[in-house]
Amino acid sequence: MLAEIGLISTLFAFIAALYAIVASVYGERFAHSHALVTSGRNAVYLNFVLMTVATLSLQIALMTQQYQISYVWSVSSPSMPDFFRFTALWGSQAGSILFWSFLMSAFTAGATFLNWKSQRRLMPYAIAYMMAVVAFFIGVTLFIENPFDRWWILPTGDVVASAFIPAGAVAPSAAQLAQTANGLNPLLRHFGMAIHPPMLYLGFVGFVIPFAFAMAALASGDLSTNWIKVSRRWALIAWVFLSLGLILGGRWAYDVLGWGGYWGWDPVENAAFLPWLIGTAYLHSVMIQEKRGMLKTWNMFLVIGTFSAVIFATFATRSGLVDSVHSFARSEIGFPMFAFWFILTLVSVWLIVWRSSRGELKDDHQLKSLFSREALFVLNNFVFIALFVAIFWGSFGAPIISELFMNTSITLGADYFLQVTPPLFILLFILMGIAPVSAWGAASLARMGRAVLIPLALTAASIGLFVVGGVTEIGALFGYGIVLFAGWVAVVETVRGIRARQHVHRENPLTSVIALYTRNPRRYGGYFIHLGITIIGLGVIGSTVFQQETQQTLAVGESLSLGIYEMRYDGFLANQIAEDGRVMDIAELTLFRDGVEVAHLRPRRDFFPEATDMNSMTIAGAHSTVENDFYVILVNWEQISASSATFKVYINPLINLVWWGGLILIIGTMLAGYPRETMPVRVREKLHAVPQGA
Amino acid sequence: MRHLMKSFQVLIALIVVVLIAQTVVAQDGTTGAVTDDMVNAIAAKLYCPVCENITLDTCGTAACADWRYEVRLQLEQGMTEEQIIEDFVRRFGDRVVGTPLDPALRALSLVTPWLIIAGVLIVTAYVITRRNAATAAQAAAPETGSTGNRYQDMFEQDISGS
Repeated sequence: MLAEIGLISTLFAFIAALYAIVASVYGERFAHSHALVTSGRNAVYLNFVLMTVATLSLQIALMTQQYQISYVWSVSSPSMPDFFRFTALWGSQAGSILFWSFLMSAFTAGATFLNWKSQRRLMPYAIAYMMAVVAFFIGVTLFIENPFDRWWILPTGDVVASAFIPAGAVAPSAAQLAQTANGLNPLLRHFGMAIHPPMLYLGFVGFVIPFAFAMAALASGDLSTNWIKVSRRWALIAWVFLSLGLILGGRWAYDVLGWGGYWGWDPVENAAFLPWLIGTAYLHSVMIQEKRGMLKTWNMFLVIGTFSAVIFATFATRSGLVDSVHSFARSEIGFPMFAFWFILTLVSVWLIVWRSSRGELKDDHQLKSLFSREALFVLNNFVFIALFVAIFWGSFGAPIISELFMNTSITLGADYFLQVTPPLFILLFILMGIAPVSAWGAASLARMGRAVLIPLALTAASIGLFVVGGVTEIGALFGYGIVLFAGWVAVVETVRGIRARQHVHRENPLTSVIALYTRNPRRYGGYFIHLGITIIGLGVIGSTVFQQETQQTLAVGESLSLGIYEMRYDGFLANQIAEDGRVMDIAELTLFRDGVEVAHLRPRRDFFPEATDMNSMTIAGAHSTVENDFYVILVNWEQISASSATFKVYINPLINLVWWGGLILIIGTMLAGYPRETMPVRVREKLHAVPQGA
Repeated sequence: MRHLMKSFQVLIALIVVVLIAQTVVAQDGTTGAVTDDMVNAIAAKLYCPVCENITLDTCGTAACADWRYEVRLQLEQGMTEEQIIEDFVRRFGDRVVGTPLDPALRALSLVTPWLIIAGVLIVTAYVITRRNAATAAQAAAPETGSTGNRYQDMFEQDISGS
């Protein structure tokens, strides 16, 4: 029954999406009928309701173990806990596409509801674009990756998955299906995987909204800043989710993939990073259009670029375009997705060229000084694009071109990325330091020099502390210096703002801080984000340059030493059965620091007897401190007695800064996106009365 | 002088004995000096020839365990890191290294992104300069037939169908 409800709801949602496109465009462009456009809007809401029903159907089927549905059979099993049964919704291709469609539908309904009155001219076209994306993904769900297919036994004895009952077929018995159910891919049975994919999807679908409004502006001819006002906040929401998705993905890799790192420059990781890079460039350059009426065409290209990168990332993950640790999501949807991406990008670029050729995207001002804020933002955008090019080339360009034209297959790994990207990241951090102290319009080098004196002095003092602390590697000190400079600029500028308020209004520090963030959330939220990026940068440098590792085989009672730690192998627990049916082999270790016992670690190898492929997982043992992580992986052990075992051990200095920096980045984004309009009128009026320079 | 020559001959003989002994021990595989860390240092620079973008030191498959053992044997035979990597590339192709060793592929990999970036920079600079020049020229001498109002011009353009 749930399969039928899900399938019918999805089918009607598809029809509603197509109707919304036709009604909106025809009603606005040709029939000039408000009723028709309104009916298109209502179809958007109906689509959301139907997609909610469809998604809930599959979710309930998973929770109630309806194994006749082939998707439920392939991603869950009777021994799985409810938590993973819940997350199995996005545990494989068909479910994740349905979930993607549902989220996109929800975002579309939200964007329509919030902007219907204020953006009357843009809405019909924005709805058409948003619904085109929704319709495409629902179409994929219905015609290629249907999660509501059920198992049937044909008269010939063959078992097939089909949405409808084949002639003469009967359903297999529930008991038989439960017995043979696959269970979720072991790599996905991790808390990080419960949140990482939804966050990435929210980031991806969120970027469709700015794209739709940009295209609506081009289609309708309303090329004022209206589309930017609407889309900026959606872009910020998408950006924060995408950032969170990337950070959680890194944490998942660190905990589950068992190689002691969090970013492997894997093509699919990189594919998710690409929209983040262009999206970040857009969030910076959109400020120039708002403040100075510049970069109108460029911003359009960035919005299209971000959307294209989103679709490309989805395509790359699911098409098997290149080898990746994410290959579990491969399927046959590669070509339709590529065609969809290509057509939509082509139409979008044509719209830009058309409007631009009519002179409708002319900038209001020119770049006057190389040191003006807008010039530095342009440079910042260029560096983001350069990073995009370098990472895209390494992940997809070179492997594909070498295979197509040079008859050989190459994989560009960390080696390539660590040669090509560092100069660009250095430039980016330098710009992150100097752009906030530059002025709009015209600015001089002398003025900028004066503004960075204090941050530079603080950076020099910090580097001095690093040297005193024992860091002597020149490259690392240089890296720390560049990163810290950007961070100190953010701190000093914030402190300047607080002191200015205190001076003018005689406020206490706390009131000044609150007023600063509520009065100019974008600016000071932005500094907070820069601070988060700085902390991530420190963590990346520390954990990359100063990582120590060793691999040794120990007999029970023996120890190994690495850095300040000593690790003793105490014993082995073999074949421990967990509640979800996994078989665990656990090594028991004691960790000492300077001779003092600090932790008991239990690295283990999990084996999933019911899983058909990728049936084992390495779970590291880790002891985390502010200073570093002691991270140990069970590599191998003597099979019968476990009297000896081999361990791979890492010390990852400052690695926790990566996660903490991520948290600060999220808080900063929430501050930057805080809507001033929601403040009480009395407060807003009071704040407006404060002079701008304060 | 004869004494010096004799000492020199003894020294040469000693060196030859040590070298032969080392070779024999290495061929016998009984040096025991190759550690897991030495193997992993090389394996970390090699990608699994059959898996998905995973370095040989972290890959958990039996095939990769065999290849790591092979690296160990090659180290025991006295092969250098470069020789071992070259041997893997010869057998499995340039996909087993993070950056290809083949000069043409290496150049393609490392130089192309910078060429593209330079191209983007040149095009961007050209577009900005051209736009600035056009805006300056427009400001100096308004276009013939223009009403002076950009939006009105566009409206005129629309209704004239051009």
